[in-house]
Amino acid sequence: MTIPLLSLIVFTPAVGAAALMFVRNDDVVRWMALGVTVLDFMLCIAMLGGFDTSTHEMQFTETRPWVPALGITYTLGIDGISAPFVFLTALLGWISVLASWVAIDRKVKEFMVSLLAMQALMLGVFCALDLFLFYVFWEAMLIPMYLIIGVWGGDGRVYAAFKFFLYTLAGSLMFLIGVIVLYFHGGETFDIRTLMAQDLPLRVQSWLFFAFLIAFAVKVPMVPVHTWLPDAHVQAPTAGSIILAAVLLKMGAYGFLRFSLPMLPEATVHYSTLMLVLSAVAIVYGGLLALAQDDLKKLVAYSSISHMGLVTLGIFTLNLRGLEGGILQMFNHGVTTGALFLSVGLIYERTHTRSIADYGGLMKAAPVYTAFLALFTLSSMALPGTNSFVGELLVLSGAFAANLAVGAAAVLGALLGAAYLLGMYRKVALGPASIGVRFKIRDVNAREMAAILPLAVFVLWIGLYPKPFLEIIDASVKHLLAQVHGKGGAQ
Amino acid sequence: MTAAALFQSILASLPEIVVVTGACILLILGQLVRKGQQQFLVWASIAVVLIAALGTLMLAGEVRPAYSGMFVADRFAVFFKVVFYLVTVLTFLLSRKYAEIEGIGSSEYYVLLLLALSGMMIMASATDLLSIYVGLELMVLCTYVLTGFLRQQRRSNEAALKYVILGGVSTGIFLYGVSLIYGLTGTTQLDGMAAAVTGDPLDPGLLLAVVFIVAGLVFKVGAVPFHMWVPDVYEGAPTTITAFMSVGPKAAGFAVILRVFLNPLVAASNVWIIVAVIAAVTMALGSFVALVQDNFKRLLAYSSIAHAGFAMFGVAAGGADGAASVMLYLLIYAFMNLGIFGIVIMMRNGDFSGEVIEDYAGLAKSHRGLALLMLLYLFSLAGIPPTAGFFAKFYVLVALVERGFVMLAVIAVLLSAVAAYFYIRIVMVIYMREPEGVFDPALTPAVAATLAFTAAGTIGIGLFPAWFLGLAQHAAIGG
Repeated sequence: MTIPLLSLIVFTPAVGAAALMFVRNDDVVRWMALGVTVLDFMLCIAMLGGFDTSTHEMQFTETRPWVPALGITYTLGIDGISAPFVFLTALLGWISVLASWVAIDRKVKEFMVSLLAMQALMLGVFCALDLFLFYVFWEAMLIPMYLIIGVWGGDGRVYAAFKFFLYTLAGSLMFLIGVIVLYFHGGETFDIRTLMAQDLPLRVQSWLFFAFLIAFAVKVPMVPVHTWLPDAHVQAPTAGSIILAAVLLKMGAYGFLRFSLPMLPEATVHYSTLMLVLSAVAIVYGGLLALAQDDLKKLVAYSSISHMGLVTLGIFTLNLRGLEGGILQMFNHGVTTGALFLSVGLIYERTHTRSIADYGGLMKAAPVYTAFLALFTLSSMALPGTNSFVGELLVLSGAFAANLAVGAAAVLGALLGAAYLLGMYRKVALGPASIGVRFKIRDVNAREMAAILPLAVFVLWIGLYPKPFLEIIDASVKHLLAQVHGKGGAQ
Repeated sequence: MTAAALFQSILASLPEIVVVTGACILLILGQLVRKGQQQFLVWASIAVVLIAALGTLMLAGEVRPAYSGMFVADRFAVFFKVVFYLVTVLTFLLSRKYAEIEGIGSSEYYVLLLLALSGMMIMASATDLLSIYVGLELMVLCTYVLTGFLRQQRRSNEAALKYVILGGVSTGIFLYGVSLIYGLTGTTQLDGMAAAVTGDPLDPGLLLAVVFIVAGLVFKVGAVPFHMWVPDVYEGAPTTITAFMSVGPKAAGFAVILRVFLNPLVAASNVWIIVAVIAAVTMALGSFVALVQDNFKRLLAYSSIAHAGFAMFGVAAGGADGAASVMLYLLIYAFMNLGIFGIVIMMRNGDFSGEVIEDYAGLAKSHRGLALLMLLYLFSLAGIPPTAGFFAKFYVLVALVERGFVMLAVIAVLLSAVAAYFYIRIVMVIYMREPEGVFDPALTPAVAATLAFTAAGTIGIGLFPAWFLGLAQHAAIGG
């Protein structure tokens, strides 16, 4: 490999962010940010074009020494598990820029710099193959995200920003200790591939499993450490919500896949039932909470908790269908929930209210918008033909194979999902026009269409023809399962 | 002492001699400098420090014991001296405008800083409890006076008085410990002490002596339970002196602590337990009390207590990595802390005191660059990557876990999560509030250079820590 493609993908937004600092005109800033993110997306497509789906080995790897005295290297690489998320991040990058085009009207430059910095760091997290590097990317994300929520958010933004920051920091710091312990137990290296090959004693694995669990559970978020999420989502600007829901939440689940499962297989098998139960609780509890929400963003936020519960459920079934479903569902949730937050943002820009009670009869005022909303709502409740159906079906069949009761809870979650999502759609789109939409509401314009259409395409594409997506992850998931059960013993 | 030995001794201590001589010359020259020409004093002082730095680097090649084993010029000392030079030069650069605004720009100000520098240098090189004492006293006597330099202000005087009295007591405790050591071992040399002990290293008398010495030293770095002076002194002293004290004398204190603790005698007695407790309590107190501070200088005082606690964890870890982690921590802390102090100092202009955190509300709106710098320093102090502050903490944690002190590492990170709160609160004030007044920072080229340099260090060491890490590890191994 002569061209360091992954470095290019990771650092293009960072360079763009640095360049933006010297631009004065707001419109130039917007176009530049869009240009950088689109360029990054095209690099990603080039990367996927060269991606070999037949192997589980890391691809596009590049290594340089960084801090040799401590065995820290700058190593990037992707496999079938990280590739979809690199793509997802790059896709949502330019969609976020489009979503903030008019919604962000003050300190535009600072916002775009934060957004691009965030983009670079998120891509870095998915590409890093060195634990230290991973941690640097992972933790550094707190800075731009804190600013995005705290500076450009809603009325309660400061509280939400603090809560987000401190929850995540506290979780990550435990992870850091775990990383250092792993470093000494794994032969003084931070190389992820080397660490995967280590065979640690069960006692150490258990401690590490819980240290990692704290960090990842906060990010996912799993009940009971989910309380930062509704605040952060509701207060964040639209682009912030999209990034949070679509990418940040995936990082917790990605952490389980990249670290907990392959590096701590025995502990994973040992505590899988606990994780299944926690996931089931999140599914049902998140669904019940979503049922009671009047705020559109809060509803989507709580539905995220429920849906991410389904993801962790899939992962910890530790069988092929569950895992593949879980990973596909991560991607789907990114697309669908990103799209839902985008939709909420679009309508909020017009009406400045998020209260479901203020809406009604939107279908007459903005038919195109409502059609998109319908599609994403149906996707979120996993109607056949949409992307989530494929993922959810796989997860459910995996869950029933692993544990009957947990599978039943997941089905209950799906039912709840139908209840709150359809209820929301009915109140917002159907019926007579209410006070909130009494005035004429503009339908989606070209810019908004450009942001929302690609997401709709993915919803239907994965729903109707998921094979290419499953092919990308297949080899890596099989290898991951072999790692878990090879070292962790038969299930 | 033969002539050759004397020559060797003078050679080894040449940088110290340069600084002291320079200070004396400046003291005389200062009387001849007319008002308005004080610029000259600043540049002359910086020149003295740079000449000393040059001498230090030229002598850095080999270990040079001097003065019958009371003094040594080794890599360990060189590392600390470089930190001291850095701190002193940056303090001079920050002082010029500030001294003019506060009306304290007499030559004594610069001379006392130079003498304090020489005291710190002696501390870094001292290998005998008595030469440690000499360096320590030289340093603290100068800082006592500098603390009270705003002689028109009540709180500056109060701070100086408080500092003198408490400092005197702690010095007394230290000397008492030294006398006990001498009584038990017949020597005050660090190397000789361990050899002289034939019996049980856990002898209660020895333990008592070690505890007294530790207590005396802990006072200088402002660790619990000898931290009471820190907030008042930091708040009362001229801000430039606060900046200096929060980094320089603190690093000097740690230099001595490391020398004493790397000593086999102390390493054998389970004193690390005391250090670990001190570290945890110090960090907890600094972090929690800082949460409720409204005054920027007091907040930074408690923050410096918390950072001293974190560095103490490195001492508790011990060994080469532990020592290196403390040294790297202090170097990085010097950059980020002088950076944030540089901004506080710069904001002091006209009626604007810049001492209340709320004063900074909305700074990001009119001064984007300054706000961004503050963001950088504050996140570095909070220990968020990719800044240097993260790597400093990371390496201390590595040293702790390497020695099996995982619980201590957990305590350290939990407390640093608490500490993160008050740093990001300042970020919130800067970025998420609307400005209430107009800002008029006294941004001179010297201050700008300081900020640029500290910012480069804060981000540079964070991104490329390898070289600095190697330096610290090399120096910690000694020789």
